[in-house]
Amino acid sequence: MASADQRGPMPLTTVHEAKTQRLEILDVEGRADAALEPKAPKEKLLEIYRKMVSIRAFDERALKLQRQGRLGTYPQIIGQEATQIVPACCLEPKDWLVPTYRGQGAYFARGMQLRYSLLYWGGDDRGVRFPTENNDLIFAIPVGSHMTQAAGLAWAEKLKKTNAVALCWLGDGASSKGDFHEALTFAGVHKLPLIMLIENNQWAISLPRAQQCAAETLAQKAFGYGAHGLQVDGNDALAVYKAVSEAVTRGRRGEGPSVIECLTYRMGHHTTADDASRYRSAAEVEGWKAKDPLSRYTKYLKAKGLLTDADVEAALRDAEAMIVEEVKAYEAFPKPNPLDMFANNYAVAPWMLVEQRAELEEVLREKQSRAELPELPPAEGRFP
Amino acid sequence: MAQKNLLQGINDGLRQAMEKDPRVVVLGEDVGLNGGVFRVTEGLQKQFGAERVVDTPLAELGIVGCTVGLALAGMRPVCEIQFDGFLPAVMDQVICHFGRMRNRSQGRNSLPLVLRAPHGGLIHAPEHHSESPEAYFTHTPGIKVVIPSTPEDAKGLLIAAINDPDPVVYFEPKRLYRTVKGEVPDAYFETPIGKARVAREGTDITVLSWGAMVHTCLKAAEELEKEGVSCEVVDLRTLTPLDWAGIAASVEKTGRALVAHEAPNTGSWAAEVGALIHERLFHKLRAPVQRVGAWDIRQPLFQLEKYYIPDAHRVVRGVKKLLSRQAV
Repeated sequence: MASADQRGPMPLTTVHEAKTQRLEILDVEGRADAALEPKAPKEKLLEIYRKMVSIRAFDERALKLQRQGRLGTYPQIIGQEATQIVPACCLEPKDWLVPTYRGQGAYFARGMQLRYSLLYWGGDDRGVRFPTENNDLIFAIPVGSHMTQAAGLAWAEKLKKTNAVALCWLGDGASSKGDFHEALTFAGVHKLPLIMLIENNQWAISLPRAQQCAAETLAQKAFGYGAHGLQVDGNDALAVYKAVSEAVTRGRRGEGPSVIECLTYRMGHHTTADDASRYRSAAEVEGWKAKDPLSRYTKYLKAKGLLTDADVEAALRDAEAMIVEEVKAYEAFPKPNPLDMFANNYAVAPWMLVEQRAELEEVLREKQSRAELPELPPAEGRFP
Repeated sequence: MAQKNLLQGINDGLRQAMEKDPRVVVLGEDVGLNGGVFRVTEGLQKQFGAERVVDTPLAELGIVGCTVGLALAGMRPVCEIQFDGFLPAVMDQVICHFGRMRNRSQGRNSLPLVLRAPHGGLIHAPEHHSESPEAYFTHTPGIKVVIPSTPEDAKGLLIAAINDPDPVVYFEPKRLYRTVKGEVPDAYFETPIGKARVAREGTDITVLSWGAMVHTCLKAAEELEKEGVSCEVVDLRTLTPLDWAGIAASVEKTGRALVAHEAPNTGSWAAEVGALIHERLFHKLRAPVQRVGAWDIRQPLFQLEKYYIPDAHRVVRGVKKLLSRQAV
């Protein structure tokens, strides 16, 4: 038997090397690197602009409504307009939109009326009405539990040969969950048309990005699953547009999943129930204001000659008018009939639900007879 | 003794346990610098440092799995899952490991850990923030499940849970955090696990409950008293192991029992309590046990939750229905 010292040298072999790149096209002043500028039609660029303006104005209004007691807990998206609006504008209706609970911008970009967002955060289950022609998935509240579902959606589209992709939003926090690992494991093995768009807004409630994961970037996680990985400036609408468009193309070509880490910032509190001043400095927030996605994009469009001051004013005016309408529609919604909660629990409601609904009807009648409950609107939804 | 709310009772218990035993560590999302989203752990990181009061990454199953490891290797971990609706993610560790480790290792390993989580609804919170998932835990052998309804018990049960050699799931009725006040002894003390508490004495019917629903039942008992019905309200405090002697003493006295809780009735812990009473005290019952719980549907968003979680009116209805029935 040969002894160890008689064996030849066994040098360490490099078996994998990866490079994580960051894509930035606009600088903080909105000046574009012409070599990287995506070839987007003018109409698309302006559509993105108008939607970013609208969702910013909506977000500000929703916060006010909450503070006035006209809305429940609300998760603000201010500062994340580019990562909300732009990816949704890179999709076709057949593609799956899989946002997080901080996703009203993405749904709006796909045509959801914002009255439904208000309705949901106003505690009304009817607030999840998305346009029927879209493949929009209802968001999940337990963080990250949607990620493997998105892999399944992409898988089905691959099996059906529809050429559609699934675009899954997640936060820096959700990238720590086992679901992230499992979703990408499946997507890599089956070369699924899945795009994992990480909105790294630097904070998971009070936990800063540096304490969330010891890796230098979240984009590099992609390489562990055979996925394409890229970091982008998430406050740069053009960079997000280019990165997502390319990932969609790769997905449609059968080249497998992509991870796009968008560096952005949660300018607001986690939700209206949170007080971010307890755990982060005002100076940090101020620093990110200089990188505001909407003002950079506005400057870019103006410099390109695609937008005038008058257009900017018109966009703001239109957004205001739309929001007034949406708030009015939200507040005009008749209060839900308590019996509605029994609808749509099963394709056909079993006996105990039939009995329990009848019992609730009795309870409601008793409350009405004691003047504890006003006249109710008719019950909605399918039952039994 | 000082007047404290439930949240302060828990905070007191954690603080004194940490002062007494350096093996006690607290971990969870936002429990450190932010003091927890409800401020239950307020001030603990400042007093004990970031190594003992740990802000974890956002990974519930990771938190609970690491808690198992910490406990196995001699620490006394108290982990927090931020909302009841996020508990399903941790059931792999709870079901497959919490209650089995002692037995699987033939008694060599134990898991002296505490899993804390808020419980219940009616605070206008978003979806998955208002659930009552106790039955998933009480159904799991080998673990203990406790839930206080007073500030004193909040402190005493938590200290008992931390000192218990087996895993304890400690639920915190979140709508009581700041709404219930009471005397809390300043001393370090234990409220024994496995002992119910008579919250109100009565003779006609035993109303068994736990968590925030105890207060709903007390309100119902007041209404019923005006109609000449005397309710004994029993706060179970510990769901597993149940205080059978305490339950039996009350039900044997009244001959009637109603179980009120916030979870859907089907497969609930109320079903188990009812079955036990029927099995063991059938001959003493003057009517079948009645349950008052939530409907067998998903908890609706907050506009309708007050029609989903039983209120005092529904408890009163349940009591009257029970009183109208006579066993043969």
